[in-house]
Order: sequence, then structure tokens, then C-alpha cells
Amino acid sequence: MKHLRSNLIATTVAAAVTLGAAATASAFTACQVTDTGGIDDNSFNQTAWKGVQDAEAQLGIDGRFLESQAETDYEANINSLLGECDIILTIGFLLGDATQTAAEANPDQKFSIVDFAYDPTIPNVLGQVYATDQAAFLAGYLAAGMSETGILGTFGGINIPPVTIFMDGFHAGAMYYNEQKSADVQVLGWNPESREGLFTNNFESLDDGRAFAQNLYDEGADIVLPVAGPVGLGSAALADELGTDALKIIGVDADLYLTDPEKGHVYLTSIMKNMDSTVFQVIQSAKDGTFEGGVIVGTLESGGVGLAPYHDMDAIVSDELKAEIDAIKAGIIDGSIKVGM
Amino acid sequence: MTDLTNTGATQGEKIDTGQQRQARITGGVLLGLAVFTVFVFGFDAAGDATFRLSRPRDPFALPNLVVPSGPFLYIAAAVLAFLGARQFVRGGTRWTALSLGIGLAVLVAAFLVWATAGKAFSLTGMLQATMVRAVPIALGGLAGVLCERVAVINIAIEGMLLAGAFTGALMGSLIGGWGGLLSAVVIGGLFGFILAALVVTYRMDQIIAGVVINLFVLGLTSYVTSQVFAEHRFLNNAPVFRAWKVPVLGDLPVIGPVFFNQNIFVYGALVLVATATYYLFHTRSGLRARSVGEHPRAADTLGINVYRTRYIHVTLGGMVAGFGGAWFTLGSVGRFDENMTGGRGFIGLAAMIFGRWHPVGALMAALVFGFADSLQQKLALLNTPIPSEFLAMSPYIATIIVVAGLIGRARAPAADGKPYVKE
Repeated sequence: MKHLRSNLIATTVAAAVTLGAAATASAFTACQVTDTGGIDDNSFNQTAWKGVQDAEAQLGIDGRFLESQAETDYEANINSLLGECDIILTIGFLLGDATQTAAEANPDQKFSIVDFAYDPTIPNVLGQVYATDQAAFLAGYLAAGMSETGILGTFGGINIPPVTIFMDGFHAGAMYYNEQKSADVQVLGWNPESREGLFTNNFESLDDGRAFAQNLYDEGADIVLPVAGPVGLGSAALADELGTDALKIIGVDADLYLTDPEKGHVYLTSIMKNMDSTVFQVIQSAKDGTFEGGVIVGTLESGGVGLAPYHDMDAIVSDELKAEIDAIKAGIIDGSIKVGM
Repeated sequence: MTDLTNTGATQGEKIDTGQQRQARITGGVLLGLAVFTVFVFGFDAAGDATFRLSRPRDPFALPNLVVPSGPFLYIAAAVLAFLGARQFVRGGTRWTALSLGIGLAVLVAAFLVWATAGKAFSLTGMLQATMVRAVPIALGGLAGVLCERVAVINIAIEGMLLAGAFTGALMGSLIGGWGGLLSAVVIGGLFGFILAALVVTYRMDQIIAGVVINLFVLGLTSYVTSQVFAEHRFLNNAPVFRAWKVPVLGDLPVIGPVFFNQNIFVYGALVLVATATYYLFHTRSGLRARSVGEHPRAADTLGINVYRTRYIHVTLGGMVAGFGGAWFTLGSVGRFDENMTGGRGFIGLAAMIFGRWHPVGALMAALVFGFADSLQQKLALLNTPIPSEFLAMSPYIATIIVVAGLIGRARAPAADGKPYVKE
């Protein structure tokens, strides 16, 4: 059915291309190649595709996508789009090699890849990476300010940079709070010096998310940041059962209040990685003719990363704390506050 | 603990030598562990290890268990050395396994004290997590015991757990927790019946039949999750069975939270293990079932319907696995996601083998696994100098060591895996 639907969409898009070509002289086409998660994965690929859809609505371009069912599809999918698209967007760290090969063989084709930065850069590839630690820093400060026990917890899926960058920022934010307020808030589950911490070592077992959050709760944590994709939904189930006075959860990647509405009330906030915003920017630059190879970093300033609204928790976050968060955000943007070590 | 009663006089001496050699090895291992404890743990231990026994809301608060790490480690090393020396000098008695058991327990305690020196963690929380994490594995193992005791190898436990989890989430969302639980048990039983039909009536290869069921369930549930649940979210929002505290007993310190303040899946697993043990080893039908697993032809000759016995027990095994699968959704997180059982069915199968095809043995193996699993989570918080990847392996390693060291050789039912053809 997935294939059927893709075909259907492809046909629709093809029709749109024809119509578009008839209406405007120069139609611009942006094509997305997903990783194996699929276009409707509720996170990564879907968020990037939203960026393409936004561009369709606002810039009048045409968008199409190809889903990769397996890692062996990456190269074939990219090759089948060569010459048909003004820009090819490849989604995810795992497509790094395939994108590089295709880009070097076709120097006139524009590419952009999410979560990958080439070193040295390739002239026709624009890498999109995210300073997630900036938003996580805000979340760490917020959590430190909200915690009643003075203990925060975090755990990750696998000990790899795209995961630990959240934990680094979260830890740094809590430490910054300690510095500012002479407080002694602790963060359990991640040690930025030794690069070791609490990891489920999978992105599948939801009951791990519950067990790991219970572990942190038993050690006194009242706010937990799970950085393990769907595994974090298990942590949300525990918070729902214990009550949000006892345990609150901070979401990652998207605003989980919106994407996990059944348990929405347990999320204090979410650390968002706005792939749609950077994808939109890249398409815009390609359309305007300002596209250049290199790296674009999604930051607080560019809107590439950010903190989600507090939603149901809005009433219990003090105005003072909200103002401090806004001030820190401004500080990070103008460079007066450093989130890195 | 080799049984000497039925060995002939000529063989007696030979076995004694073997036992002595085993005792020497055990003694050597224990002495080695004593040295290890002194040199690795003893030298850099500083400060007290604090184990929190009570949690803030417990009615009878116990003070924290504070252990001075230095002295404790030297005492532990002394105990290990004594046990080892005793085995080495005058081994060959039935104390060998017991000494090794005590030795391993002392080693684990020493390790905990070393890791916790100067810090604190919740011991009660860890033991409670041990129990919770053992549930799906114990139920998977029990499902395996029921099937293999009638000589049907059940590789499909993983698939049955997954089917139970899926059904629990779907039906739980539609008709409530109890309805979801019942449906999960029924679906588990259905897959058990299908397995029985494939291997008993159609004499399909048992491993292949099991793998087929695993792949079928994984594919179907993943498909429905991504295509249906993603759009109709209310179908995947089941209630979770909360912990139910046994009056009085549940308020006891340490023991209360671990055994008497859990949800129905923990109680259910304990009751099922006890019932299955009684049934298999103390009732007439249990004996008949076991005879079908050991020597189906003899059982058939005596008028036992081999096919029917196998159908019934494999279906029962499927129902137990379905119940265990419901734990993932109704007993834990209230929603289903692709492949959320994460291989626990296979670990359950291993627990069954480690537990020597005995329900209590399977439960014990599951508890060892659960303990090592919750232990590694605590160690990750204590900033021990052990890499997290290694900690993640520890549950598997611990299970292997305990089984290899303490359980010894296990014997499967004689007819295990062989189809029976009635003449």
C-alpha cells in the first residue's frame, strides 16, 4: 500500500508538473530521497518533507519524494532522480556516502543532505546540520529551574553524536543554572567528560523507556529527557501513571505535545530540530540562485532548532523563569553565552 | 552435585576423580576471585557505599544501609579465599556448587560496594525493577517449557509475545484493559494452535514453522502500525494496569515493593509458574504430558492420545506467551510500536534451557537476567569506569556464567523436536 500510495502521489505530482509547466514557464522541482524510516515516520523524514510542502505552498515549486525501503535503495533512488530535479534532498546521516558519490559524478546537479557535513565540502552539496545543543541548553536551564528535587535525568538510545549532542546541551544548561543561581542541581545519566552515560542501546523497546525513567525517578529525578526516539514514549507512559507532579518529560526532535497528543500533558517542553525550516531555506536559496555548496547550521538564530511552547505546563512555569530563558536565548544568539564546553 | 546412588562400584572411583577435579577448578576460581577482589576492588575503594532501602513515601522507613567499602571488600575477599581453599584442599563433596553459588553472590556484593563507594543508589528500586524486567522473559520461558515438555520446540515465542502485545494494545484501546488482556491470551493461544497444527498434524519442520510465525507476526503488526495506527491513533491508546498493593504485606520495607506492590502481570507470572510446576510434576495429566515428551510411542501404547496432548499443551503455551506479550502494552507503556518485544522471546527460550526445562528454573534464569539488567542501569548512573556498551552486555554474560557455573549440564526431553507418527 505504501508503494501504491507513493505511485499515486508520484502520478499526481507528475500531473502537477505537467500542469505547472503549462502555467509557468520555468517550474522548479525539489526531490526528496528518504532513509528507510519512510515518509510518514512521524519524525525525521516527515519533518523534512513538511519543509518541501511548505516550499510548494509558499514558493510555488513542485515537490516529489522517493522512499528507500532498504539501504541498497539509496544510490538507485538518487540516480533515478538525476537530471529531473533542480535540487535533490537526501535525508539522513546514512545517505552520506551515496550522496557524495552521486554529487561527485554529477557536478551540475544540486544536492542537499540532512545531518551530514562533508569535510572538505563538495561544491554542489549543501549539508544541513543542527546546533541541537543550543536548544537543549535552554531545556536544561528550564528543567533545573523547574525541578523540586534538584535532580534531573537523561538517557539516550545509542552513544552516537546525534544523540549525545542533546545530552551535552542539557547538561551544560543545568550547570549554567547552578552557576547563575549558586544552586546544586545534578544531572544523572550523562557525564560529558567521560562521554559515558545511560543508554538503552536500541530505538525499539518502549518498555526500556519506562524502566530507564523509573530508574532515574528512583534516584530522585523529577524531570527526564529521553533521547531515544519512540523509546521515550515509554517514559511518557510512566510520567502519566505517576502524575506530572512527580515526573515530567522533555521531548526531542518534534514538539511531542502535538505528535503524541494522548500523553501530551506530561511534556514540559520539547527540544525541536526544525528540519522543515532548513529544508525550506535550502529550496529557497536554490530557487533564488543563491545556492552554494558547504554547510548550513540550524541554530536558535536561524530557527533551525528551538524550544517548543510549554502548552499545558505554561501556568506552572514562572514568568521570571520564562524571561530568563528568553534572555539566555538572546545571549546564545549574540554569542555572549557559550553552550559548548 | 552428580548423583552417585545409581552408579556401579567400578565407575565410582572414576566419578570421584572427576568430582575432585571439578572441586579443584572451583577452588582455583574462588581463590582467583579473592585475589581479584583485593587487587582490583580493594585498592581504590574509598568512602562508604550507601544503599537506600526506603523511598520517600514508604510507610515504614528503614535507615539507609551504609557499608564501609574498604573493610567490606577485605572481608569479602577473605570469605572467597576461605571457600576456595576449602574446595581446593578437601573438595569433592556436595558443597562444590553451593560454595560457587555463595562465592558468586559475595563477588556481586563486593562489586556493588566497590561501584557505589562514596555514592548512593536505591537498592529497593533496583530489586523492584529486577522483578518487572523478568516478567516477559519468565512467561516466555514458561511458554517454552509447556511446549517442549510435550516435545514441540517453540521458536515462535517471540512472535507470540509480539502478537499478544499488539492485540493487547488494539483490543485494550477498544474494550478496556481486561478485554485486551483476554484477547491477547486468546490470540496467543490461536498462534499456539496454528503451530501445533503445522508441526503435529502436518509434521512440518518445527524450527521453520516457528520462524514462519515470527516473521508473519512481525510483518503484519508492523504493517498495521505504520498504516492504520499512524492515522487512527485512538486504536493504539490502551489503559495500563497499575500496580496493586497487597494489603499489609505491601507496606513491608524492601520486600513489600519488590513482591507485593506490582501489577497483575508480576503476580500472574508467579502464580502461573507455581501452577505449572504443580501441574507438570504432581498431577496425573502432568505426568502423561511429560511422558509424551520423553517417549511418545510408550505413551501411545498406554492409551495416551499423543496428538491431543501436544495440541493442548502447545496451545496453552501460546496462551501464556500471549499473556506475557500483553505485559509490553497493557502492563507497561499502553501503546504498540514496531518490534517492541525486541527479542525478549528468544531470551525467554534461553531462560527455559538455562532453567533445565523446569518452570521454576526458567523463572530463576529470568530473575538473574532481570537483576543484571537493572544492575547495569544503576552502574551507568554511578559513573563507574566501565564502558556503557560493556554494561549493556552484562545481563547476557551474567546469565551465561551463572548457568555454566551453577546449573551444569541440562537434558532436554528425549523426544524434543521429533514429530510423532502414529502407526
